Amino acid sequence: MKGRVNAGLIAGGVLVGLVVAMALVSFVWTPHDPELVDAANKLREPGDGYLLGADKFGRDTFSQLMVGARTTLYVGIVAVGIAALIGTPLGVIAGMTRLRWLSELVMRVNDLVFAFPALLLAVMLGAVYGAGTLTAMIAIGVATVPAFARVARAATMQVMVTDYILAARAAGRRRLPVAFRHVLPNIGSMLIVQASVSFAIAILAEAALSFLGFGTRPPTPSWGRMLQESQELLFSTPRLALWPGLAIALAVLGFNLLGDGLRDYLDPKLRRIRAER
Amino acid sequence: MLSVEGLTVRAGAVELVHDVSFHIGPGERVGLIGESGSGKSLTALSLMGLLPEGVTAGGKARLHDRDLIGVPESKLKDLRGRAMSMVFQEPMTALNPLMRVGAQVAEVMTLHGRPRDQARARAVELLGEVRLPDPAQVARAYPHQLSGGQRQRVMLAIALANEPGLLICDEPTTALDVTVQKQMLDLIAEVAPALLFITHDLAVVASVCERVLVMYGGRVVESGPIREVFTRPRHRYTEGLLAASKLTPRGTRLPTIQGSVPPAGQFPGGCVFRNRCPHADTACEKVPALTGEGHAHACWHPADRG
Amino acid sequence: MILYLLKRTAVFLVSTAVAGVLVFAFMAVLPGDPAEVALGVNATPEALAELRRQFGTDRPPVAQFLDWFGGLATGDFGTSYVTSAPIGPQISDRLGVTVVLVGGGMLAALLIAVPAGTFAAVHHRNPLGVVISAFSQVGIAIPAFLAGILLVFVFAVQAQALPSGGYVPLAEDPVEWFRSLLLPWLSLGLVQGAVLTRYVRSAVLDVMREDYLRTARAKGRGRMGALWRHGLRNAAVPVVTVLGLQLATLLIGAVVVERVFVIPGLGDLLLNGVAARDLLLVQGVVMVLVAAVLLINFVVDVAYAALDPRLRGAR
Repeated sequence: MKGRVNAGLIAGGVLVGLVVAMALVSFVWTPHDPELVDAANKLREPGDGYLLGADKFGRDTFSQLMVGARTTLYVGIVAVGIAALIGTPLGVIAGMTRLRWLSELVMRVNDLVFAFPALLLAVMLGAVYGAGTLTAMIAIGVATVPAFARVARAATMQVMVTDYILAARAAGRRRLPVAFRHVLPNIGSMLIVQASVSFAIAILAEAALSFLGFGTRPPTPSWGRMLQESQELLFSTPRLALWPGLAIALAVLGFNLLGDGLRDYLDPKLRRIRAER
Repeated sequence: MLSVEGLTVRAGAVELVHDVSFHIGPGERVGLIGESGSGKSLTALSLMGLLPEGVTAGGKARLHDRDLIGVPESKLKDLRGRAMSMVFQEPMTALNPLMRVGAQVAEVMTLHGRPRDQARARAVELLGEVRLPDPAQVARAYPHQLSGGQRQRVMLAIALANEPGLLICDEPTTALDVTVQKQMLDLIAEVAPALLFITHDLAVVASVCERVLVMYGGRVVESGPIREVFTRPRHRYTEGLLAASKLTPRGTRLPTIQGSVPPAGQFPGGCVFRNRCPHADTACEKVPALTGEGHAHACWHPADRG
Repeated sequence: MILYLLKRTAVFLVSTAVAGVLVFAFMAVLPGDPAEVALGVNATPEALAELRRQFGTDRPPVAQFLDWFGGLATGDFGTSYVTSAPIGPQISDRLGVTVVLVGGGMLAALLIAVPAGTFAAVHHRNPLGVVISAFSQVGIAIPAFLAGILLVFVFAVQAQALPSGGYVPLAEDPVEWFRSLLLPWLSLGLVQGAVLTRYVRSAVLDVMREDYLRTARAKGRGRMGALWRHGLRNAAVPVVTVLGLQLATLLIGAVVVERVFVIPGLGDLLLNGVAARDLLLVQGVVMVLVAAVLLINFVVDVAYAALDPRLRGAR
């Protein structure tokens, strides 16, 4: 049943691992305090303890990257968590129910929420409650619910027509136990793949939000905001844009590769159910 | 009209069809029998130049003095659909689901120079000739609105549109319901020009063809007029096939050929059938040549002589 | 087919209405009173009441909603509580710019993805095809604004060939208009192009394996001819679905890109509105954006059925 461990899986795993490692290490140690404004070191070039240099406030870029990794992961975990916890049951119900109107209704509502892109939700939420990491996480999470619901529904429907489910039901088992014992474990692999893909999207969304000023508030470091701050100095100090940009791209790439690799590994046959973007 | 000499088909290092030679005269109906893995489909595909990626053909084949093997696509495509055409096994996926049936039939004519309106009109006529009810309606329909049997008739109409000299049919009735099969076979028998009919079903080939080639392991092991080959088979494989087929009245036990068809590239050296033949001995380590005029066989211990 | 169209239209209209309710409800939750915000803390109760009456915020929520939504249908987006300027004209001014931005971005994406994806599919065993696949994988990981910054760096900073920001209206100077939009278009187009390339490749690969391509070749078409005449339309079906999704993403990407390149579009308007707590404005812009996404979905559904006859009957 399992596919092969493939290059994408390894590459993705390595990249994701790097981000996680950076975040974890940052709890214990960073070369400098990333939030400390230090005018003396303003725009310092790389070298001598400042691995990647410092920004216009004298804050060490590398330390900022490390702590920024934390933000990136927080947002990803909470957003994907929300989406999975809400979306999966919805999708499974829609897939299992014999009531066509229920299935239709869930999917219509789903489509409606889909129409509110994460950014829009976050901006709206931010307008009402004030922008910040929490609103970003919730907004991205809610915006990702439809993707999970869709995948859960499609995978459930596929599983529902497999022979052993039909056998279990023919034997008289009621729907709810069937759901827990048979459906959930089988759609698990598709959900894991979707989680990875959605994580990548969450990172992109958070970066965009921070870039716009709707994400993590200063002085907490965030890759997106680092990018935004680098913009005005693009002509003179392009390296300030390079590092956060690279970090975002590699993290997203890592999760994408991980998602694709996991899909090939966990069950190549289920390739048909595309992970939703 | 069609002459094939020493046709070989390879996928990389593995030889799938080896040294196949035969000829088909104008109007002749020739059957090509064999089980899956015998190389019969590949033989046909190589004549049409439709081999899949990574598979190549060598040797010689000529249709009306035009070479078919080793010729660039630009020359071959001129022949396909015009001088020779093919009907494939699976009708459900053979037609473009987004195009109307009539347009798909007309296409084969416009490709080879017929003006559009003529092609359109002729397409409807052709659909009638393959005995589809209400051909004008069918022409406007989309493939998903037709049954398998109907779609296969459309394929036949497409194949015959430009009046080719040679029609190749690769298991055309295998995917159809039994009741529909007979109608289809009758139709083919009626309208086909020269025919190369590929199948694994001996009863089917007997009802349509005059001559037959038996293939096993990528080689022709027996060939000759159907009546002779089927009543007095020479090659042990043909003998086994006949015994197991519907054509031979049986006793209580179902006769089978022992063993099973090896995967491609794993056929024994020497006589291809050696590892399943009850009459095999050391002589069979050498490849037997196809011998005999008219009714030829490639066997060291053919049936007649025991 | 007609039935299908009617059903789709109904879904679109209902969804828009529901979205309107959601947006309105959302904004109505905001603590605070626009009248107080406008007049300040020391305003007299009478002045507040009078202003509320003018704004219409003294009426029950349902009435306010109906009034607002009804207004939307006729193009009246109300008047801002903060700036006292009518919102409708502000939106329509900016709408054109955003539409051009998104449209151009989509076009750029298609111009990149269709050839690249087809090439990658046809040559999928060939090293070049694999390279394209790999590139598209990387392209997906780059957000539009990052692409924008990168492009500015290359073309504006290093090459000094294109402006790093700003917008010139078409009527004023077509050449400058084009130049000011080129990098933004590319930012959106490159990223979406990468995503689309993967889908195009996958769709074309699937089609290449289809039997009806072999039938086309048996009729006398060459490899590329068969793919072109029969494959493309069939490959278009899954791609069109994705296109719809992509347009929605592009719309949002445009919001950010407008920031990067300082382009006065809807995104810019939205962000300014949020910063100024101009709720009615935010409501209006969000509604327009959401309605646009729903409209795109509707168009995709219709296009889908137009392309694939199998979808027209039963649904």
